[in-house]
Amino acid sequence: MAAMLTDTTDRVDQAPAPAPEHARRLRRRSSPRAMHLLLALAAVITIFPFYAMVVISVQPGKAITIPDALFPSEISFAAYEQALDSQNIPQWALNSAIYSIVSVVLVLLFASMAGYAFAKKRFFGRELIFWVFIAMLMIPYHLTIIPQYIIVRELGGLNTMWGMIVPTIANAQAMFLMRQFIQDVPDEIIDAARIDGAGEFRVYWSIVLPQTKPILATLGTFVFLWHWNDFLWPLVSQQSPRNYVLTVGLKTLQEQEVPLATIMAAAVVTFIPALLVFIVLQRYFVRGVMMSGIK
Amino acid sequence: MATVTAPVDQRSTVGPPRRRRSRLTSPGALIAYVFILPYVAFFLLFRILPTLYGIVLSFGDYGLSGTFELLGLDNYQRLFADPLFWNALKVTGLYAAIAIPVSVTVSLAMAQLCNRVLRGMSIYRSIFFLPVVTSPVLSGLIFIWIFSADGPINSLLGTVGLSPGSWLQSSGLVLPALALVSAWMNFGYNMLILLAGMLAIPQEYYEAAQLDGAGPWRRFRSVTLPLLKPALFFVLVLETVKSFQAFDTIYVMTGGGPVRASYTLTFMVYDQGFGYFDFGYASAVGVVLLLITLVFSLIQRRLVGRSA
Repeated sequence: MAAMLTDTTDRVDQAPAPAPEHARRLRRRSSPRAMHLLLALAAVITIFPFYAMVVISVQPGKAITIPDALFPSEISFAAYEQALDSQNIPQWALNSAIYSIVSVVLVLLFASMAGYAFAKKRFFGRELIFWVFIAMLMIPYHLTIIPQYIIVRELGGLNTMWGMIVPTIANAQAMFLMRQFIQDVPDEIIDAARIDGAGEFRVYWSIVLPQTKPILATLGTFVFLWHWNDFLWPLVSQQSPRNYVLTVGLKTLQEQEVPLATIMAAAVVTFIPALLVFIVLQRYFVRGVMMSGIK
Repeated sequence: MATVTAPVDQRSTVGPPRRRRSRLTSPGALIAYVFILPYVAFFLLFRILPTLYGIVLSFGDYGLSGTFELLGLDNYQRLFADPLFWNALKVTGLYAAIAIPVSVTVSLAMAQLCNRVLRGMSIYRSIFFLPVVTSPVLSGLIFIWIFSADGPINSLLGTVGLSPGSWLQSSGLVLPALALVSAWMNFGYNMLILLAGMLAIPQEYYEAAQLDGAGPWRRFRSVTLPLLKPALFFVLVLETVKSFQAFDTIYVMTGGGPVRASYTLTFMVYDQGFGYFDFGYASAVGVVLLLITLVFSLIQRRLVGRSA
């Protein structure tokens, strides 16, 4: 059902040769020009904050007045040089990248292993364990952040990269999506592999996992962006500025009253990787959102 | 795939007949435990244990050296006598009352706007999705400037003779400003869910309504809205949870101010926990947050059960 819906949207996007259904839809639309105007207005409002971020970042040392500042006559990249040289931004970007990428790998690995067992194996307590996991989605994050902090401190993980990563990898939604998807992998190909003498781990790794590539891409995109943009946990689990991720570092720049242009340059640098991931993997991301809405 | 609540897969029972073995000791079961082990271990340690620990903490005092002393209901007594808590409760409710309708209305209007065939629609949709992939910290930083005394919103309002001053320093405007930021950040996501629901509505219904003389507004109200109910409900639940748990933008944009006008329950957890390191007291606030979340999801479930 999810796939069907995504297909429909994709088809709507490429309108030139309308199928009968779309011809009818076309007739329904009131006035394309008015609609374009409304859409363009909404797009301008949506983009404006990004635009403002960029124009402020290229006018360091100038008073930002409206409307002049929005249409800069000369631009300078000095704020970017300053952001990249004098601040810890390259180190923070590296931390953000490690935090995001390692988390993606671990979440995908553990969620797909568990999802495979929940979808295809019978074992005592399966139902119970599964629904306990799902019920835990109701628990507000803010209730668990303090105990999580204490546990990680007891384990000696405060101020370390592993201490920041490890608590975030037990992701119930990821496991749930994996289970849903693996349920649709035909039992026949799994049984055939077993008859050919494949061991359990081999069945998972070379038969099941390749079948789940689309959902791995969807989940990977989600988990990456979630970690790249994460703030509260990196904020409380890391004290030394060397260990900050970009979001936490950006906030400290604001507290140190660094010039606005430099903050905005750092914000642009923070945004670019998320933007690239979104552009490249947009298809998978959109499908994931649509799947989440279908119950 | 379509039903989240579908019974766990039964297909394995239909295959070729197998020798019955104890489910616990059959090789398949042992392997299954190996497969779920890493996941379950992390889940126990970093989801279930913290939840239980958080509830226990709320009944005691946690010293910075790691000592814990059980105090019974002391934290709750202190909480219910604390004007800060009642203020946080009020701010959380007020914020939800502003943010949820704004966000849902914008999302619905945008979904309706995007539910048509137009050249360039895929580009528009991508643009509308950009704020969703943007970090709340980053959004917060730029919106501080947008809502500032001589920022673009006030310049715009100035042309019609209004001058509200800095939104984030006004106790009356700070919550609407935060709600607008949250609507900007979330509408692309909600819009997509609603759009999926709209595309599933059969075109014939609209034609029948049109033949009966229903205009666009009437068709939206009498065809789209009733059939969109499940998707709309899902968006409503999402927005409710998000508004109760709003934190990042508040931390970055207002720090709970001015004069605690945006000091929500989540902010109170952070402030008491990591500002004053009063873990027990902060956990009591966390438990209240948990109870509110549970009560609201029960009410919403009830409402949908009745109207469906």
